[in-house]
Amino acid sequence: MKIVVCIKQVPETNDVTIDPVTHNLDRRGLAGVMNPFDKNAVEQALQLKDADSDAEVVLLSMGPDDYAESLREGMAMGADAGVLLSDRAFAGADTLATGYVIAQAIKQIGDVDLVLFGRQAVDADTGQVGPIVAEFLHQPQITYAASLRLSGTNEVTAERLLEDTKQTLVATLPAVVSVRSELNTPRYPAPRNIQLSFAKPLTVWHHDDLDLDDSRLGQAGSPTIVTKVYAPEPVKRELTPLTGTPTEAASQLITALKTRQLI
Amino acid sequence: MSSTTAAAEKLLLQMVDDYTAREIAPQDMPMDADGDFPAGFIQKLTDTGFLGLMLPQEFGGAGFGPEVTATALNHIARGNASTAVTLEGHFKTIDQILKFGTPALQQQLLPSANDRIFAFSMTEASGGSNPMGISSTATREGDHWVITGDKIMITNGGLAQVYCVLVKTAPKELSVFAVDQDMPGFSFGKREDFIGLRGTPVGEIVMDHIIVDDDHLLGKLGDGGMIGDSAHDDARILMGAVLTGIMEHDLKIATDYAKERKAGDKPLTELQVTHRKVADIAMRKETTKLLYQRAAQLKATGQPYSEEAAMAKAHGSRSAVSAGDDTLQILAGYGYSREYPVEHLIRDARAMEIAEGTVEKMRSAIANAEFSK
Repeated sequence: MKIVVCIKQVPETNDVTIDPVTHNLDRRGLAGVMNPFDKNAVEQALQLKDADSDAEVVLLSMGPDDYAESLREGMAMGADAGVLLSDRAFAGADTLATGYVIAQAIKQIGDVDLVLFGRQAVDADTGQVGPIVAEFLHQPQITYAASLRLSGTNEVTAERLLEDTKQTLVATLPAVVSVRSELNTPRYPAPRNIQLSFAKPLTVWHHDDLDLDDSRLGQAGSPTIVTKVYAPEPVKRELTPLTGTPTEAASQLITALKTRQLI
Repeated sequence: MSSTTAAAEKLLLQMVDDYTAREIAPQDMPMDADGDFPAGFIQKLTDTGFLGLMLPQEFGGAGFGPEVTATALNHIARGNASTAVTLEGHFKTIDQILKFGTPALQQQLLPSANDRIFAFSMTEASGGSNPMGISSTATREGDHWVITGDKIMITNGGLAQVYCVLVKTAPKELSVFAVDQDMPGFSFGKREDFIGLRGTPVGEIVMDHIIVDDDHLLGKLGDGGMIGDSAHDDARILMGAVLTGIMEHDLKIATDYAKERKAGDKPLTELQVTHRKVADIAMRKETTKLLYQRAAQLKATGQPYSEEAAMAKAHGSRSAVSAGDDTLQILAGYGYSREYPVEHLIRDARAMEIAEGTVEKMRSAIANAEFSK
């Protein structure tokens, strides 16, 4: 079985700024760490590998050269290999353009049975790339899995925790699954495995290494336009105190709502 | 340093910081109150691979060098000094087996150092800083040695499973042997109730006619004093690192408090009396850090490091006690309360004015090194 885990490197600090021109997060010069939610996806893949010694776990990320650090961390946790998609042509991509390149890379890796994502990245918080990749790959997807197991000969079963219900879904492999942090506690990379991870293959694929439609890449291939990012000002509202007994207060409330034509 | 080594060390320290924040620091206060490591704490540390951090890869370890090993203990001690000191005792013992153990002994013992804690034992009831005063012996009988005696105040005593012990092989001859707790004649004695570093067990072992072969001798007969000095040197670098971590902990407590607390209508951060104390803590911390890093660098590059290691411990231990005292004074009544960690940081630091050679002995060693130049 071949499992690809898609991971993202995010700023280590919450103190990020917004680029005044693009209105996107300005990640320049910030130290990066592996997106914490992605560690749950890595851990899930490693648990599947623990149960099946023939399983292969490949980590995949897209970003500048220093994103290799997060791939290396995942390899120190136990993944077998890492692939970094890095090219100026990919810069400025929104979730759609990112998902397209990642899907093309998964096709190129080949024979992938299961693609795992963390539930979302902590910097942009969209949670969209996993589903987009599934669409590009034309594969079934399960999002926000709180438990996951391989079932039957060619299936994955996952439980989704929704607001007021649980949903158990079965998908035929190959499939794409994004996982919640409740799924597991990620293992620490052991000191020895940190050293040994540097003997594992970490490949960098540039634009020309992939089969890509250039119109789908980078900022040009990104339909998302961020016009403004701002923290909404708190709105000060006039307060009308309700007085008297509960019955009198209720009567005042109904009158006030009727006056405003809310009921 | 190669880029791969630098990247591996960065990743190691990132993991150490993460582990310290999540697994070690939350146990700092309970450990001091209970006088022991919590149940499962050492097993998790072992399972995560910390015991093999500096053990060469050929023995199943990670093979990290002296500089980053010391830095890792520095970072761990920010969260809890006892954990760092237990690893220090383990690492210094591994170091002596690597330096002086026969290949057969290394093959026999070192792979297990990933899963079992090691300890180095010199002190007896008859003396600590005077090794010729010890009474434990190894006597030659046929083709083996018979070891008998009591060792006390051993860092990791009772927790460790392998001990390097200093014994007399002749009236004026000191030698070091490795013994295993599984050997017939080995037993544990009293555990000390020390006032600081209360997570780290410090205890006694009793050796009653333990039989070992020649391969369990470290170095040659009569090398005991030299091997003991070597163990001290390696330990003192790591203690400098631990003391730096304690002072970083002090500094964080002091600055966090000063930023929030007011004296009258003035924040503590605007008072010169606070400035002086915080600056002194920061300078003590930084000078100790430079000293242990310098000693570790000398060790990593194969140069003599005994004097610098002694400086790191002698300067660092008094500095850390003073840094704790200044932190306590900034926090005033809260600092004096057992509800806050400051008072135990002083007790933790105070241990290192004694352990691995007293500060008085350190100063003699440093002075004699200067006289010999």
